[in-house]
Amino acid sequence: MYADYAYLIVAMPVLAFVLCIFFGWHLPKGGGFFTVLATFGGLILSLGIFKEIYPDKIVHQSIPWFANFNVGILIDPLAIVMLLMVTFVVTLIHTYALGYMDGDPGAARYFAEAALFTAAMLGLIYSDNLLQLFIFWELVGLCSFLLIGFWYRKPSAAAAAKKAFLTTRVGDVLFLAALVLLYNNMASLNLALKPGEYLLQFPVIYAHIAQIPPTQLTFIALCLLGGAVGKSGQFPLHVWLPDAMEGPTTVSAMIHAATMVTAGVYLVARMFPLFYAAPNALTVVALIGAFTGLFAATMGLTAFDIKRVLAFSTVSQLGFMMAGLGVGAAVGVAAVGVSIFHLIGHSFFKALLFLCSGSVIHAVGTNDMREMGGVGKYMKWTAYTMLIGSLSLAGFPLFTGFFSKDEIIKIAYEYGVQINYLPYIMLICAATLTAIYTFRLWFVAFTGEPRSDYHKHESPWIMIGPLVLLAVFALGFGFFAQSGFYQYLDTNFEHYGVDFHALGVIGGHISEAGAAGGEGAGEPFIVKILPYIIAIGGILVAMLFYYWHKLDPGLVTSERDPIRRLLLKGYYQHEIFTAWFAETVVYGVAILFNLIDIKIVDGVLNKISEVTVGFGGNLRKVQTGVVQNYITAVVLGIVVLVIVIEIGMKVGL
Amino acid sequence: MIPVELYILLASIMFTIGLYGLVTQRNGIKLMMCIELLLNSANINLVAFSANQPNVDGQVFALFSIALAAAEAGVGFAILISLYRLYGTIELDNINALRW
Repeated sequence: MYADYAYLIVAMPVLAFVLCIFFGWHLPKGGGFFTVLATFGGLILSLGIFKEIYPDKIVHQSIPWFANFNVGILIDPLAIVMLLMVTFVVTLIHTYALGYMDGDPGAARYFAEAALFTAAMLGLIYSDNLLQLFIFWELVGLCSFLLIGFWYRKPSAAAAAKKAFLTTRVGDVLFLAALVLLYNNMASLNLALKPGEYLLQFPVIYAHIAQIPPTQLTFIALCLLGGAVGKSGQFPLHVWLPDAMEGPTTVSAMIHAATMVTAGVYLVARMFPLFYAAPNALTVVALIGAFTGLFAATMGLTAFDIKRVLAFSTVSQLGFMMAGLGVGAAVGVAAVGVSIFHLIGHSFFKALLFLCSGSVIHAVGTNDMREMGGVGKYMKWTAYTMLIGSLSLAGFPLFTGFFSKDEIIKIAYEYGVQINYLPYIMLICAATLTAIYTFRLWFVAFTGEPRSDYHKHESPWIMIGPLVLLAVFALGFGFFAQSGFYQYLDTNFEHYGVDFHALGVIGGHISEAGAAGGEGAGEPFIVKILPYIIAIGGILVAMLFYYWHKLDPGLVTSERDPIRRLLLKGYYQHEIFTAWFAETVVYGVAILFNLIDIKIVDGVLNKISEVTVGFGGNLRKVQTGVVQNYITAVVLGIVVLVIVIEIGMKVGL
Repeated sequence: MIPVELYILLASIMFTIGLYGLVTQRNGIKLMMCIELLLNSANINLVAFSANQPNVDGQVFALFSIALAAAEAGVGFAILISLYRLYGTIELDNINALRW
């Protein structure tokens, strides 16, 4: 019964968008309660649908759109857990925003755009075909652009919005290419589709992956991955994510936790059978993910902006999720459950962390954690909820982050045993660094003595409430939900009858005869306890440096230390990507293309038009307007005619 | 009786002169005169043939033609006079307000 109203999950936020943008200006708090109510309604509906379909049903509705395409809703285990997470987290973020955005003259615009953002993300999740998913994907990109540039009068915000838009666009183009490629390949199979089936519908794609040539599959998978890399801020398209901090903190929370960046991971999870069947594709996913995880973690170590630290940690954790999917080459479809579990756990504690930092920024009035210090004394709730979030992010035992991250590291180890240890090593290092930088942030900001004069007050209850709720989930979700979650997600592709064994043979993960991998081949003791060691060890290291001050960071590094400078400068990414690559290489190429455009493309056209105009101009002169000239012409004509006729008669024609 | 060929010869000489003038001259009045020559050469032909083979139709036609020419001359000179008032000249090359 709830499933019949599934379309409302998207329709309600869209309605909220319309109401806010037209009437929000005249309402208290910019009409934000519309947005909150709409997403809360979505949460209720999602819960209802979950009750209906759990544990072994799916919802699939579809209507024809045009030609070979349809519009549809597909709610399977993968989609429903995402729907629940997004509606839940976003409802809390919107509630928090009621307090956070209070008094901002653009509040109505904020809530309108936030509602649209939510709608786009929810639509993306339960699309039943790739084209529809792509449309919502683009809509998500647009909304992120609008929200990052929310304070558009600030040049840095406008620049960050542009950067986010352009960078993700690179990925989007690749996604579009994948879409076209996939459609082409599906069309060339000449399938006899039953009524109600369309080429780009996920069930149809799943059913026919095995018939597409493997090299084509790899192309498609890599292009899809390109899209996911852009959206999920993976290396090398991660540059926009830290800059995206220019928007309001609630926007950062939304982008980093629930909407936007998870879309890339979701896309790869959604198309996992295709990735699994494509030779080498998952290896690329695993390496990019693991590398991003490590790379971003090192940058998080040196950032001073509290939100940038969190942004780098998001990039890093997204790397974990990607790597978790990538190592599916070794462990098969179980990787989807593991990765999505981390995604959902991460969205709880990352939303929590961002909202806490928003609360701190709200009070202190700066993002720079060097100016905070001792905030915990005055903002007890914020400090302790943030502590829970940090423990979870650091992977402290029994917190959500521990269960989800540990599992990714475990399957990465299995991948290592079977194929390649590189992702495992990178992920272990990244996890250690995660614990260190998270607690560096917490200790520097919340303990010690105030280092600047700020308002020493706690945030209003409308902001604290969501923090507490999120903290509960960041604390307990992993412990209570883990096993059930994996079981549920593992059934996801069974609904479509995907034969992972056959696909694995195509992808070269499983030999024709051999069984799938050494399942639970018994890890060495050290591998089992390593996650505990790195989490606690990392926190202790951070405490030594920043809480007890037993060690001075100056001992390890100094201002002149090249490694520190390298990290502080973010690996000179700005210099490489923007100053060198964008301004020299791209600009140079652009000049070249511009020349070609002007000289050759425009030149040819200009020449053609010049010739035509010149010819006409010359021909025009015949029409003198002087009647005498016409008479002359007529007379001459007659003379010629007479002569011709005369000669003709003489010759005897 | 003068042979009809001579009339035709006269008429063609007049016609040629008129045509030549019409093509080469730029003065409005000269052009009017040339047009008269053309018309009258045609009239000569009409009258000559009419007299040659007894039939008055041609002479009647010539009378019509003369009346027409008078009317045409009246209108033409009126136009020329107003042009002269406007431009101070009747050199047709200078009257080119509507020309590109």
